[in-house]
Amino acid sequence: MSFLQPLALIALPLMALPIIIHLINQQRHRTIPWAAMMFLMRAKRMSRGMARLRHLLILLMRVLAIGALIFAMSRPLSGGWLGSVGLSKPDATLVLLDRSASMEIQDLQAGESKRSTALKRLAQLLEQGDYGTHLLLIDSASGQLHEVDSPKALLRLPMTESSATSANIPSMLETALAYLKANESGRAEIWICSDLKENDWDVHSGRWNAIRDELAQLEGVHHFLLAYTDPPSSNLSIRVENVQRWERGSAAELVLDVMVRTEGGAPYPTAEGRSVVRRVPIEFEVNNVRSVVEVELDTLGASLQGHRIPIDTKLSSGWGSVSLPGDANPLDNRFFFVFSEPPVRKAVVVSDDTKVGEAFRRALAIPTDVRLQHHVDVIPMNRVAEIDWENTGLLIWQGTLPSGLVAEQIQHFVNSGRVAMFFPSKLQTLTATGEQLFAARWGNWQSTGKQSDIKGNISWWRGDADLLAHAESGDALPLSELRTYQYRAFESQGTLLARFDDDAPLLTRVATDRGAAYFCSTLPTAQFSSLERDGVVFYVMLQRALAEGCQTLAVASQRDAGIDALADRNQWEPIAPAGNNASLSQRGLHAGVYRDEAYWAAVNRSQAEDNAKTAAVEAVDTLFDGLSYRRIDVNVGDTSALASELWRIFLIAMAVALILEAVLSLPSRKTESSPLIDLTVAEGTTE
Amino acid sequence: MALQLKRDYLNQKVLERLSTLQLHARLPMIGNVSGKHRSPIRGSSLEFAEYRKYVPGDDMRRLDWRAYARNDRYYIKEFEADTNLRMCLIVDTSGSMDFTHNGMSKLDYARRVAGTLAYIAALQGDAVGLYCAGKEFQIEIPPKRSATHLSAVLDELGTMEASGETGLADVLHETAERIAQRALIVVVSDLFIEPGIVRNCFDHLRFRKHDVAVFHLMEQNELEFEFDRPMRFVDMEGGEPILADPTVIGTQYRRAMEMYLESMDEVIRDTEVDYHRICIHEDYGDVLARFLLGRTPKKNK
Repeated sequence: MSFLQPLALIALPLMALPIIIHLINQQRHRTIPWAAMMFLMRAKRMSRGMARLRHLLILLMRVLAIGALIFAMSRPLSGGWLGSVGLSKPDATLVLLDRSASMEIQDLQAGESKRSTALKRLAQLLEQGDYGTHLLLIDSASGQLHEVDSPKALLRLPMTESSATSANIPSMLETALAYLKANESGRAEIWICSDLKENDWDVHSGRWNAIRDELAQLEGVHHFLLAYTDPPSSNLSIRVENVQRWERGSAAELVLDVMVRTEGGAPYPTAEGRSVVRRVPIEFEVNNVRSVVEVELDTLGASLQGHRIPIDTKLSSGWGSVSLPGDANPLDNRFFFVFSEPPVRKAVVVSDDTKVGEAFRRALAIPTDVRLQHHVDVIPMNRVAEIDWENTGLLIWQGTLPSGLVAEQIQHFVNSGRVAMFFPSKLQTLTATGEQLFAARWGNWQSTGKQSDIKGNISWWRGDADLLAHAESGDALPLSELRTYQYRAFESQGTLLARFDDDAPLLTRVATDRGAAYFCSTLPTAQFSSLERDGVVFYVMLQRALAEGCQTLAVASQRDAGIDALADRNQWEPIAPAGNNASLSQRGLHAGVYRDEAYWAAVNRSQAEDNAKTAAVEAVDTLFDGLSYRRIDVNVGDTSALASELWRIFLIAMAVALILEAVLSLPSRKTESSPLIDLTVAEGTTE
Repeated sequence: MALQLKRDYLNQKVLERLSTLQLHARLPMIGNVSGKHRSPIRGSSLEFAEYRKYVPGDDMRRLDWRAYARNDRYYIKEFEADTNLRMCLIVDTSGSMDFTHNGMSKLDYARRVAGTLAYIAALQGDAVGLYCAGKEFQIEIPPKRSATHLSAVLDELGTMEASGETGLADVLHETAERIAQRALIVVVSDLFIEPGIVRNCFDHLRFRKHDVAVFHLMEQNELEFEFDRPMRFVDMEGGEPILADPTVIGTQYRRAMEMYLESMDEVIRDTEVDYHRICIHEDYGDVLARFLLGRTPKKNK
């Protein structure tokens, strides 16, 4: 329990006053000669039971009355979870607000979203209580720390408005941790408002151990989690998975893959319990022309593949959107897309080995779609300066890792959103220092044995994402059949995508700000592996890398909402939706279409936000093991106070205690015929 | 009979007021001289008692010749005998009798009651004796009729003191045994002993054909026990003092007192003693007038 006037609790020892008065009263007795001692002794024997209890109860009632009065004066606040806070006020209060798109799910009756509900309740609570010297906000969209003047200001700040971003709770806690450590804050309260989405919390991340350990070292830090643990309400979200602009003869068209997801289980049973088919209209808007297509929903949603929308052939680039009718979450009912003519997919292979270079060229030159144009240059190391970095989407580097200016150019190339893949040099010996790029370096060549003995030596690969992901049909790539005869050892801190039986890496993706850099530890030629001969894995891997790298070559790009979503150019102007007047710093956080001369960008919520999975509350609770932590489950739209003043209850308790004391103190009634009053003796005895 | 009253506990006005009343015994008394009280023995008073058949040896002078003339049989005419009364005053002199209300202790009150009764009895020619019932203070003056004896009784009444435990039960039993002839036993005490013991004493006295009268002296505070703060109660009969909070045990005290008085009423009903429960703030003249009037034979009314 916390108190608005904790100083009043200093008077708590006054509760002992009735007992002290009782003891003093016992000491200041008078002495009186008494004749009727036999009755006195009899009375003392009789008073050992109920009378003594009654007297103790009277004392207790007096003590309780004073206690209740003192507690009422200290203005206590309700809420069992506040009990752990203690009585001292915090030096700083940090509010970690999840502004992710999923927090915009509303209670349709109250018209309040999860985010606004949490903000209102928290602001009300902090307004009532004492939030300390500093009130700080860390919003999930920017991940930055903002000093806030007052709790009420939380409701007005642009940093607390809705956004289409995802949240990164571990990162936000790290920011809070850095602040607490830098400012050496004493007692602090960290309030986390979140809907516990699995992608926001990433409960299996190794970062949590470090965060927990560091928070445990700080004394007086209390954690509160305002959690929306109620099951997700019925909600539909829409997303354009793919958009292509094709020209067919003299006509042009857009081809869209649209996905509709349902959240909250099967929401369409009839009263009899039978499922009925529900159709939902999808509205397409392209170049201010609207069209509606109805799709049938099943329990998972609906998929509209290859939906064609004819457009003007002169419209080489532009934007559009797909919309659903309004439901619980207004933020996932519209998805923006931009389109442009597909760029020439250009790849550069740098290799001194003609045979290897040719293997790469063959795999890259054949497009996955005949309508796409691929262009592959194979150049030796000494012609690196000729590379057209601007118009290249994929760089294949086979050979010794570069250094100096070339290394810098490659890093810039990757950080501008392109993809680089590195393959080892055939050279057996290493230089003394060992070339290093992206904090990774090659080791020595290793042999896996006789070629005839080897029957697939890839023990594991990542099939859910990235270059080796399963095909759209769900079939896995045939990596198990891939044979590798020689590979080169590799050292890096990157993410493993495939490994051999002896746990040595085959394919690794190293960490980069943007773009991607991959390291493959073998070569495609027959001397080293069956990559080229088996073909499928090699082809898919390179085509995916090329597609990813060439995304930035297109003038139109789909982007996930985030603080740096529009950071690559300075002149982005909002095009859609109408009335999008977000400030420059907030533009990347909201869904919409932006244009910078010939370039188009569509910003939308990330795919993870459409995932309805919520982290188990037990798993979230476990993240705070050993810390002062309370989870407060709240419901959407419930803006009732998190804490309310309890002084009335204590005043009532005091009144009740006083009444009980008065009742217990009442003298026992004397009957009218009592012989104590009537001194006449029994009838007939006097004559 | 003229008495020079020098005892300050005797009030002249009360004596004068009560002198018009007579002390009557409720039971026939056996005295040694003629008096005002009925006797179980037939005597020569003017009051006719009964006829009985003549038996040889009877005094021929007491034959009723008129009855013989009417019935031709011999009848002896008998008359009531009036005799005097022995009154034994038994005053409790235990420490508890020193309990005082407005300057008057129970012993002072007992002194006035006993002294006045002694005077009235002596005035009408009855014998008066005095016994003190205290473990530490004991006086024993057998009943006699003389004026000097009354003076001695009154002197002893004036000098007696209350102290120590009560010896009332012992004195009552002893008195029952030692006074051979019927007597009026007047007990003046606060009777702070168990009702069962009191019952035994009264039964004993009644068995010996004594007429027993009891003045049970109480004080209002003892009955009501109205105190508002813890008190240290010192036993006036020498027992251990008790520290008690009347607000805690007041109810129980009153309940104990109530039970005691109820038991005492039962004892009185069973033993048929002339019992008077008195609060010492009452005027003792009124109490005695009520006592004397209550004993006046009904046929005289």
